[in-house]
Amino acid sequence: MKRLAVDELTFEGRRGVRAGVLMNSSADLIARSCAGDADAFRLIFERYSRPIISFLYDLVSDRGLAEELAQETFVRAYRNLSSMREETKISTWLFGIARNVAREALRMRARQSQNVDLEHESVQELSDKSPVPVERLLGKELNEVIRRSLAALDEDKRLVFTLKVFQQCSYEEIAEITGFSIAKLKTDLHRARTEMRRRISPYAGVTYEV
Amino acid sequence: MKCEVCLPLLEEYIDGELREAEAAPVSEHLVTCADCATAFDSLTAEQEIYSRYDRELEISPILWNEIAARTVDERKVVNTASRSSWREWFALPSLGWSFAGAMAMLLAVVALAVIYFQSTKQPRQEPIQQAQNDKSPKISPQKVIDNNVKTPETPIQVKTKDQLAVKDSRSQKVHKFQEALTASSERKTLVTDQSDVLFSDVAYSQVEEKETLAHIENAHNLLRSVRNIEISEDDTDVDVTYEKALSRRLLNENVILRREAEMNGKFPAKTLLADLEPFLIDIANLPDKPAAEDLRVLKQRVQKTEIVAALQGY
Repeated sequence: MKRLAVDELTFEGRRGVRAGVLMNSSADLIARSCAGDADAFRLIFERYSRPIISFLYDLVSDRGLAEELAQETFVRAYRNLSSMREETKISTWLFGIARNVAREALRMRARQSQNVDLEHESVQELSDKSPVPVERLLGKELNEVIRRSLAALDEDKRLVFTLKVFQQCSYEEIAEITGFSIAKLKTDLHRARTEMRRRISPYAGVTYEV
Repeated sequence: MKCEVCLPLLEEYIDGELREAEAAPVSEHLVTCADCATAFDSLTAEQEIYSRYDRELEISPILWNEIAARTVDERKVVNTASRSSWREWFALPSLGWSFAGAMAMLLAVVALAVIYFQSTKQPRQEPIQQAQNDKSPKISPQKVIDNNVKTPETPIQVKTKDQLAVKDSRSQKVHKFQEALTASSERKTLVTDQSDVLFSDVAYSQVEEKETLAHIENAHNLLRSVRNIEISEDDTDVDVTYEKALSRRLLNENVILRREAEMNGKFPAKTLLADLEPFLIDIANLPDKPAAEDLRVLKQRVQKTEIVAALQGY
């Protein structure tokens, strides 16, 4: 769908908003949020809250903390809407904020408890005592293995792996979010994949080593 | 291409990060080399496992409520800060009780002066009144003042002043009421107590006129947007959610304004709003992702009926 450029109009009393962009494009949502439209910011939240919470959960491996950090991410985003560059994708920008928020939280947590060794944690026992179908059980176990394997990666590798494999970001976007060079992120991504493969292969039957 | 070259490129190939010139030889090699094809299949299977990773995360509505509360608080803080800075600009020096005492004294002096001037004007009527009441006992100046207040002429003057004051305050109220209504872009119903407003019908019609103009401007923008949609044959993902929402809001306004225009005998406005209503209904009832054909028909109707021009003309 393409819209013809139309001359500048006033829309709901706001000059500079074009009638041709009535659709809720990201740029339109940003412009409306900057103008104080709370509904527009809510749409941004609804559109991006799930990927942001998933991303934060992958980084911190804690549901409650991921929610808190998501809240902080969106509040910081709201405060800095006007500073967002036009050429930046809103998802890239939000992931960048979320990454900073998560990094701060991880550092604080590391200071508080320095002796947590995720590498040697045993697989968590399932608390659900009722009969569970085998496939679902395997799925649950596999989810848990992936979560623990992710948590065992070092911070940079986990960040790059999550952005590429789960959030489907391009190398360029990852470089923008993390500030890493393309060469570094490629190396980190390859190593992260190899480590993840080594950990999940007993459960998933993936045996290939690149 | 050799396997030693192909294997290190497989991850980037799967990620879609290879340029076409790099990807083409990998694709060709995968067709002919069973080992590399197996490696490719393993990587694909791995991707699929990750794609099924379920974090079992629920996004609680509380999360948005908390974000909204924090952002609203910040807006309030910003507003208060800006207001207080303006107050500081115009603030009087803080003199505390001494200043208040001085103001009270000043008011008392002004009040006494007013009473004194009133009493110096009144004695001119005193002889006439005294002549009329020769038999009446001698009265003190204070009582004369009291009697003068009770004369038939003075109360009329006082009453007229009171009425003017009331009228002024009411006209100010009417003005404020108009401003408040004009500022509100989302008018749903006019359920306002106007019992203390003079000439409420006049004030109301002005408000109504402004509301109608704002409504027509919004509707005009919406229809222009619809008219300017360029539809291609392969369009399948036309998202008109925002237009629908806007149209529903405008439709509610339209019904109210049309009825009011009819009741007030404003037939040009009533006719225009009645013409506009079917378009708003059609847009409001579109599916979220309508077929290209539906949009084309709607667009043609907007163009043929020249409703946009009519709205602009108003």
